[in-house]
Amino acid sequence: MSPESKGWPRAKGASKYAACHFCDTLQTVVALEEGQSAHCRTCGAELYENRPRSLQRTVSFALAALLLMGLVVIFPFLSMDNNGLKSTMTVWGAAASLWEQGDELIAAATAAFIVILPITLILCLLFVTLPLLVGKSLPGAVLAFRMVSHLQTWVMVEVFFLGAIVSLLKLVKLAEVSLGEGFWAFALLVFMMAGALSSIDRLEFWDRIEAARERKREVYS
Amino acid sequence: MSGSGAKVALAENLAACHTCSRVQSADLHHCERCGSTVHARKPDSLQRCLAFLVASLIAYIPANLLPIMVVTQLGAEQSSTILSGVATFWEIQAYPVAITIFVASVMIPGLKLVALGILCAAAAGKITIEPQRANRLYWLTELVGRWSMVDVFVVAILVGLVNFTGLMSIAAGPAAVAFGLMVILTMFAAHAFEPKLIWDRLRAEQQN
Repeated sequence: MSPESKGWPRAKGASKYAACHFCDTLQTVVALEEGQSAHCRTCGAELYENRPRSLQRTVSFALAALLLMGLVVIFPFLSMDNNGLKSTMTVWGAAASLWEQGDELIAAATAAFIVILPITLILCLLFVTLPLLVGKSLPGAVLAFRMVSHLQTWVMVEVFFLGAIVSLLKLVKLAEVSLGEGFWAFALLVFMMAGALSSIDRLEFWDRIEAARERKREVYS
Repeated sequence: MSGSGAKVALAENLAACHTCSRVQSADLHHCERCGSTVHARKPDSLQRCLAFLVASLIAYIPANLLPIMVVTQLGAEQSSTILSGVATFWEIQAYPVAITIFVASVMIPGLKLVALGILCAAAAGKITIEPQRANRLYWLTELVGRWSMVDVFVVAILVGLVNFTGLMSIAAGPAAVAFGLMVILTMFAAHAFEPKLIWDRLRAEQQN
């Protein structure tokens, strides 16, 4: 693999065109330097960009997010003391008690948007990006990165965190509330998750996957 | 800026994959790179978007009128709607919180429904809006929709924390489900919409 001065590795069979997602104008793909972005010549919308060190950044943020997610699931998120009656909740526990009270839909939504889908997304992302660091693509990487694209809108950790702040403000007048370790882990998770998602260079990763798979085919044929 | 000299992918029988953006023959059923189904235009996007839009509009009404949370304290039941929650925060002069909840729960979903309605009307040729403005409007509706879930999560956290019976208990009201459904439905509606339709219409008009 030769070090490329500009852009990222692309497969020989890669398409030489890009089409604008808004106005469908066809234009030729040009390699970008890190930090540059290409814009549609008809409507000005962004076609693609070259986010700096996107692979390394995505991997770092995703690993941090995975670790923090482990802490969030294990440690108490909030606890409160109402005249001697103590109660503690974890993020997972909140979903469980909603389920027990018969609010299955809200329980499922909370568990899915806050824990299950974010973990799935991080694992899929690492499954794609870790091998790409050394120019490899594992079988299933295509499916995993498709999952990443589809799951992105459904990860709502930052919205949940805003909800936690609003809940705290609602509770302060009723009882003594204290923040658990899980709360601080969650606060960091919000940033790591945002970091991971905003580091993803979608087109670059797809191009790299395509190039890695093409190389693999050439080796075996 | 109208791009009269620019080639359109559809006219060249090419299509960009919705998932990985690879440009390839529009006759292919599956993307050569990622295997997703290839469409030059999302199929039935207008009908699908409108269907989700109507469904979320229906859910928007109970979401705002019915109680989202029922608090039982010392035998006394007190239910609160989203708007009464906003009012409570306003009364205790917690203005930033009151404004945040109002914007996230009432304004954003309402505006999102209106924005998608405008986009659908423009795509169907009922109204004309500047395409660049339509791009921005679409981008914005995709970006802000998720924040409306905040109230559902507030309920989830309060129920999860105050789960002991006796002195006080908190239960989710019917509006919580309606609210969550509305947010998810508007997200589906935004996803189903095809912004290229607005540009197709503009180009068709310019040719006539």
